[in-house]
Amino acid sequence: MSRARRLKFVLWAIVGLAAAVGTTRMLVGLGATSHLSDATPWGLWIGFDVMAGVALAAGGFIITASVYIFKLERFHDVVRPAVLTAFLGYLAVVVGLLFDLGLPWNIWHMIVFWNTRSPLFEVGWCVMLYLTVLALEFFPVPAEQFSALAKIRRVLLKWRLPLVIAGIGLSTLHQSSLGSLFLAMPYHVHPLWYSPWLPVLFLVSAIALGLQMVIVESHFTAYVYRRKPETGVLEGLTTPARWILLAYLALRFGDLAARGNLRLLTGGEWQVKMFWFEVAVMAGLPIVLLSIGRVRRSRAGQFAAAGLGVFGVVLNRVDVGGLVHTGRGEALYVPAWTEFAVSAGVVAAAVLAFLFAVERFAVWHDRPADPDADPLKLPEFDKVGTTWLGVPAVADRTVYSLVFVVAAAVGFALLPASAAAGRGVEPGPAHRARGGEILWIDGNLDGNGVAFPHDAHEQREGGKESCPRCHHMNLPRDRASGCFECHRDMWQPTDAFGHERHASPTGGRLSCATCHPSAEPRSASTAKTCVTCHKDLIPAGAFIKVNNGYRASGYVRAMHALCIDCHTHVMAARKKPNLGRCTNCHRERRSFVDAPDLAVRERIGASVVLPQGVAR
Amino acid sequence: MEAWIVFARGPLFRLCFSIMVLGLARVLWLTGIGIIEAYGRSDDRALAYREIFRQTLGWALPVGRAGRARPLYSLTSVLFHLGLLLVPLLLQAHVRLWQSVIGIAWPVLPAAAADGLTLLMLVTAVGLFAGRLADRRSRAISRLQDYVWPLLLAVPFVSGFACANLTLAPLTYQAGMLLHLLSADAVMFLLPFTKITHCVLQPLSQLVTAVAWKFVPEAGDRVAATLGFADRPSWAERSRLGGPHS
Repeated sequence: MSRARRLKFVLWAIVGLAAAVGTTRMLVGLGATSHLSDATPWGLWIGFDVMAGVALAAGGFIITASVYIFKLERFHDVVRPAVLTAFLGYLAVVVGLLFDLGLPWNIWHMIVFWNTRSPLFEVGWCVMLYLTVLALEFFPVPAEQFSALAKIRRVLLKWRLPLVIAGIGLSTLHQSSLGSLFLAMPYHVHPLWYSPWLPVLFLVSAIALGLQMVIVESHFTAYVYRRKPETGVLEGLTTPARWILLAYLALRFGDLAARGNLRLLTGGEWQVKMFWFEVAVMAGLPIVLLSIGRVRRSRAGQFAAAGLGVFGVVLNRVDVGGLVHTGRGEALYVPAWTEFAVSAGVVAAAVLAFLFAVERFAVWHDRPADPDADPLKLPEFDKVGTTWLGVPAVADRTVYSLVFVVAAAVGFALLPASAAAGRGVEPGPAHRARGGEILWIDGNLDGNGVAFPHDAHEQREGGKESCPRCHHMNLPRDRASGCFECHRDMWQPTDAFGHERHASPTGGRLSCATCHPSAEPRSASTAKTCVTCHKDLIPAGAFIKVNNGYRASGYVRAMHALCIDCHTHVMAARKKPNLGRCTNCHRERRSFVDAPDLAVRERIGASVVLPQGVAR
Repeated sequence: MEAWIVFARGPLFRLCFSIMVLGLARVLWLTGIGIIEAYGRSDDRALAYREIFRQTLGWALPVGRAGRARPLYSLTSVLFHLGLLLVPLLLQAHVRLWQSVIGIAWPVLPAAAADGLTLLMLVTAVGLFAGRLADRRSRAISRLQDYVWPLLLAVPFVSGFACANLTLAPLTYQAGMLLHLLSADAVMFLLPFTKITHCVLQPLSQLVTAVAWKFVPEAGDRVAATLGFADRPSWAERSRLGGPHS
C-alpha cells in the first residue's frame, strides 16, 4: 500500500467514527454526546473546529495577496494548494459549527434576521462571504477539466483581482472579529489571555499561522505523494513568518506590561504554565529555529518549526475559546471522547477532500501518478482477503468503505448508553433530603434546594394520619419511604420495580409465570400489579394514585408535581397568591459543605440533624 | 449472566446492527456504482429493462420460470423467507424494544402467529438444508457458508421460540435469552459479508447480469495481450477463420 493509501485508510476510519458520533449528536442532542453544559457552552468544537480552523485557513488570503497584489511570482506554485486549503478549512469550520450549534437547522437565520450589534453576526457573515469568495477563487481549477465550464472559468479569471481583494478584506475583518467575540466577556477569559487587543493579536497570529500552514501542508503532501518538496520556495515564507511572530510576541508582552499584568506570569497555577508553554511553542521556538540558516533551508527544519507554530496557534485558540475561561465553578471541562472524534473527523474529511482534489485536478504543476493509467498493469491481490478487488479505483472504494463501515459501527457501539437510548440527559442520581424538622431538599447536591418545613406540613395536614398524602407508596415493610428511594434520578424516569431483583436466583427467585400468568406477551402492562403480592405497598388513604407502578418519574418532576399541585390548590382556597410562586419554596442557595447545620438553623430557626457520613 | 445479557443487547447489539445496516448499504452502493461504471464503459447502451424486471420478479416468486423449474423448492423457499423476515420484524417483544429506544412502534403479529411462523421457518429450513444435501447439482455449487448459514440462522429462532414458550424449553430464560442475543448479533455481524447480501441485492441481480455482458470494445484482445498472447488470433478472427473454439 502506498503512503497515500495508508493515510486514506486511517482517515476513512476516523471519518467513520466521527460519522457515528455526529449522527447521534444530530439525533439525540449535545447533552448525551459531549461534556458541554450550560456552564461550559463553548468547548473543543468552538476552540478547535471553528477558531483554529479559521486561523489555519489564513494561508489562502496571504498567498493570494503576495502573488496577485504584491506580484511575488516565486510563490505562484503554492497559490492553488493554499487556496484549496483555505476553502476546505472554511468548509470544515462550517461543518464543525453545525455540530456545535444547539439548533443547527437555524443556521440560515443570520442571513434573514440581522443582529448588527453582535460580533457573531459579523463572524457569521464573513465566514459565509469568504467561503463563497474562496469557492469562486478555486472553481477555475476543477473547471479546467470540463469544457462545458470554460465560459464561467474565463469570467472568474477576469474577476480574480476583485475576488482576491474581497478575500483579503473579509479575512482580516473576521480573523480579528473572532477575537472581538471575547471582548464581550472580560471577566470570563483568564487575564493572561484577555486583552482589549485580542482582535489585533488574533489577526497577527493568523497571518503568521497562514504562512506556516502553507509550509506544513506542502511538506506533508510532498511526503505523502513522494513529490519533490518545494523547500526553496517555502524558504521565502520563513522570513516574514519570523518577523510577524516577533511582532506578535512584542504585542502580547507589551500589552501585558501596559496593563500591569506582567506580575501574573510568575505564579504557579496551571494557567501560567500553560501560557508559557503556549507562547514558547507558538512563537518562541519557531523564531529561534527559523533564525538558524541551516534549519530554515532544510526540509525537516522547515516542517518542524512551522509545525510547532501551527500547533501553538491551535492551542492558543483552544485556550481562548474555552480552556482558560474562569468562573465555571469547580467543574473543569475536559472534552468527551466524542468531541475529539467529531473534531478529528472533520479534519480527516477535509484532508480526504484535499487529497481527492490534488489527484483529480491540476492543483500542482504535475499531478501524482494515476494508478489506473496503465491498462496492462497486473492485478494486485488484497493482503487481507487474498482476493483481487478489481482495478485500483474499485479496490480503493471497496477497502475504504469497509473501513468506514467498521469504524462507524465501533463508534455506535462505544457511545454512552444514554445517547444510544435516545435520551439526551445524563443520568443524575438523586440523593436523600437531609434534616429533621426542616428537610433540606437538594437531590443533586448542587446547593440549590428547598428548605421544606416537614413537621409544620405534617401538623397542618393532621398529624401522623396525613403521611399518605405525600408518601403515596412505600417500600415493602416500610412507612413513609423517602422520595429518592423510587425517584432515583434527577431528570429521567427510573425503574421503581427492579425486574432482576425479583427474577434473579440470588434475589426473589420468582418464575416468570408468577407475575406473567397469562398467555399474553410478557410486558409491564400484562403483568400482575405490585400490590398483588406487596399488600402494604400503598398506604390506606394515599393521596396520589399511581397509574403505572413500575416506573417512577424523575426526582425534580415528582417534587414539582406534588408540591405545585397542592400549593396551587391551597393558594386558590385560602387566597394566598404567593404560595404558587417559585420563590415561595426556592428561597436560597446553600452549601452543605460550608456549614450545613448552621446555615439552616440560623435562617430558619430550626435544628437540623445531619445524617451520618455527610462531609462538612 | 445478567451483565452478559446487558452487553449483548447494548454495545454488542449496536455494533452488529450498525455493521448490518451500514454494511448492506455499502454492498448496495458498491454494486450500484459498479453497474453504472460498467454501463458507462460500453458502447452498447441497449438494455431490455422490461425483460430484466420480469426476470427479477420471476426468480423471486414461486410462479413462472422458477416455479416451473423446481416447484417444491421455490414454494419451500418462499415460506421459509416469510417466517425468516416476518417474525423478527413483527414480533411484539421486538417492537416493544424498538419503541422503548426510538419511540416508534408498528403493527405486531399475534403471539400464536409468531410461534407458528417460527415453526414453519424451522421446518422449511430443514427441508431446504436436506434438499441441498440430497441434490447432486446443489452440492456441487455449495460452499461452506451455504451449510453454516442455515444452522446459524436456526439458533436465534430456536432460542427465541424457547424463551417465548419456557414450558417447552430445557434451559432457563436467562440462558436462552443470552443464546438468542449472541446468535442474533452474530447473524447481523456476518450478514453483509456473505451471500445473505441478496436481501438488498436481489432487485439488482438480473440487471447486474445484463450489464456484466457489456464489455469494453476490444476487451478480449486486451485480456489476451495482458496474458501474453498478443500474437495469437483474436476471438473474432478465430470464429471468422472457422478454427477450433477451445
